[in-house]
Amino acid sequence: MDYLIHILIIAGIYTILSLSLNLIVGYTGLAALGHIAFACIGAYTSSLLALNFGISPWMGLIAGAILASTLGAIVAYPSLRLKGDYLALATFGLGVIVYSIAKNWVSLTRGPMGLPGIPSFSIFGYQISNVWSYLILVLLFVLLTYIVIKNITNSPFGRILKGIREDEIASLAMGKSVNKYKLIVFVVGAFFAGIAGSLYAHYISFIDPSSFTIMESITVLLMVVFGGMGSLKGSIVGAFLLVVLPELLRFLGMPSSIAAPLRQMIYGLLLVVLMIWRPQGLLGKYKFK
Amino acid sequence: MQSKRTKKLKGKILFILVTIGILHVLIINNGLQTIKSIIQKIYRFVGIMNTDSSMIQIFINGLITGSIYALIALGFTIIYRTVKFFHFAHGIVYAAGAYLAYAFFIFLRINRFISFFLAIIVAALLGVCIDRLVYVPLRKYKTSNLVFLLTSFGVFIFLQNLLQLIFGAQILTLRTGPIKEGHHFLGAVITDNQILIIVSSLVLFFLCWLFIQKTKFGKAIRAVSDDPIGARVVGINSEKIIMIAFAIGSALAGAAGILISLETNIEPTMGFSAILKGIIASIIGGIGSIPGALFGGLFLGVAENLGIWQIQAGWKDAIAFVILILFLLFRPSGIMGIKTEKEKL
Repeated sequence: MDYLIHILIIAGIYTILSLSLNLIVGYTGLAALGHIAFACIGAYTSSLLALNFGISPWMGLIAGAILASTLGAIVAYPSLRLKGDYLALATFGLGVIVYSIAKNWVSLTRGPMGLPGIPSFSIFGYQISNVWSYLILVLLFVLLTYIVIKNITNSPFGRILKGIREDEIASLAMGKSVNKYKLIVFVVGAFFAGIAGSLYAHYISFIDPSSFTIMESITVLLMVVFGGMGSLKGSIVGAFLLVVLPELLRFLGMPSSIAAPLRQMIYGLLLVVLMIWRPQGLLGKYKFK
Repeated sequence: MQSKRTKKLKGKILFILVTIGILHVLIINNGLQTIKSIIQKIYRFVGIMNTDSSMIQIFINGLITGSIYALIALGFTIIYRTVKFFHFAHGIVYAAGAYLAYAFFIFLRINRFISFFLAIIVAALLGVCIDRLVYVPLRKYKTSNLVFLLTSFGVFIFLQNLLQLIFGAQILTLRTGPIKEGHHFLGAVITDNQILIIVSSLVLFFLCWLFIQKTKFGKAIRAVSDDPIGARVVGINSEKIIMIAFAIGSALAGAAGILISLETNIEPTMGFSAILKGIIASIIGGIGSIPGALFGGLFLGVAENLGIWQIQAGWKDAIAFVILILFLLFRPSGIMGIKTEKEKL
């Protein structure tokens, strides 16, 4: 039972990531492939603050999210000049750079050895170490992310984002400052990704760079595409299905040396099949043009 | 008139190929000593014999990795020219080349050169299969480059994990005997295999350049890359040309994979950083430009090795991407690329 709850918690964390990536990719149409880099910044910031300075994980979570969104702003600036696959490549590069920093700045992040013993969240002196209470915490954050992004996308602001997605030049002609909107979208997306990273770090209580490889970014993107771009419900469904379904392989009694590559193979195949036959995903209306 | 000209051209190409083949054999087997002594004499004459030898070693290491990058970039560029998207799965063809050579050479115990040749052919077939099975349906829908890139990622992930499933995650090696001591050369050390890597990639490069510039197929490839509709109007079967481009590009990737596995270990994840370096090299050189691919590959190889010398080996990928982002921002057309109206970012 605890194992099932564990999977649900991981799925919840992935949902926060896919919801925030959907804002960037699905609603604004910017192909960002380095989303896990923001989660990496959030995770490392809050765990380093907690381990080295004894700062409460709640403060660390906010600090991590703010630092991640600062990085988001830094990324957004050059990305304003690139389009399509070149933007994808540049953000991909960002993911690799952040990963190398986490791996090679040994004096700060302990490199591949990772950071063990990260403390858990606590409310009024009550430690949230029980999986049930952590599940509730994660679901609260999922709800928060959903409400914020839902409100953003349903507002006039969200309509402008969709306008940028459909026709950037037309939006410019309407007098909208496209660059400003792209910047805000990156900052908001990175903020929630930072929260997701921090939640992950305090839940697992151990992080190392291998949790934040570029393959994870592609997995999150797959969740968005699978669920449907521009559909928040789709992102939730996509994240849950893609986390839960591969776990079935383990129940079939496969050793992890076979199950791990098989899971990745399914992801790869799913991406190809989706792109060829159903580029709008399960619940989406919009597809990559 | 036409046939006479093509005959003449064929004769010329045959002559060039044979000379290159002879030169190739000479350099690898016997002629090494002579060439080395000639170069040493030149260096002594210039008077840089006794300069910092670590600098020369770094430069040579850079040339070795750079020539592999250049080969990958060349295959990538040939494919890019005809289809105009980032064929990311090119990296897995490179890894597959190394694994196929391993399978033929170590498992089936076929002769070394025959097994390498077979591996290159199967790699070419793999590239063509990827095109036929995955890209052809996408081309029918006329989707954007981004969709192609993501699909290519999917193919890459699928095949990489398939390799891991078949051969296991552990590292393998093509080496059978003990490691030979390298030649001391201007204070630096270089092994036979490393010389083989540099020379054969340069030879392959030259052959491809000749193929693109001088043959009918090369002309057709250039025509399709310049103007697909115009090419179709004059009766070029663009699907066939794309298939040829995939075959040649993938064969080059397979060859690069075999060459690198003479030098380092084989592992399932080797294709990932290789294709990234290939793409970066071709963007640095100017995307779509063949001399640019060579130049970009060598530039990236030397720059990376200089960076490792100054900082740390782990930063290799980060250095490459910093160079890429700088190029994308400040000189997106690359060093040798020409900015056309259509290809502006």
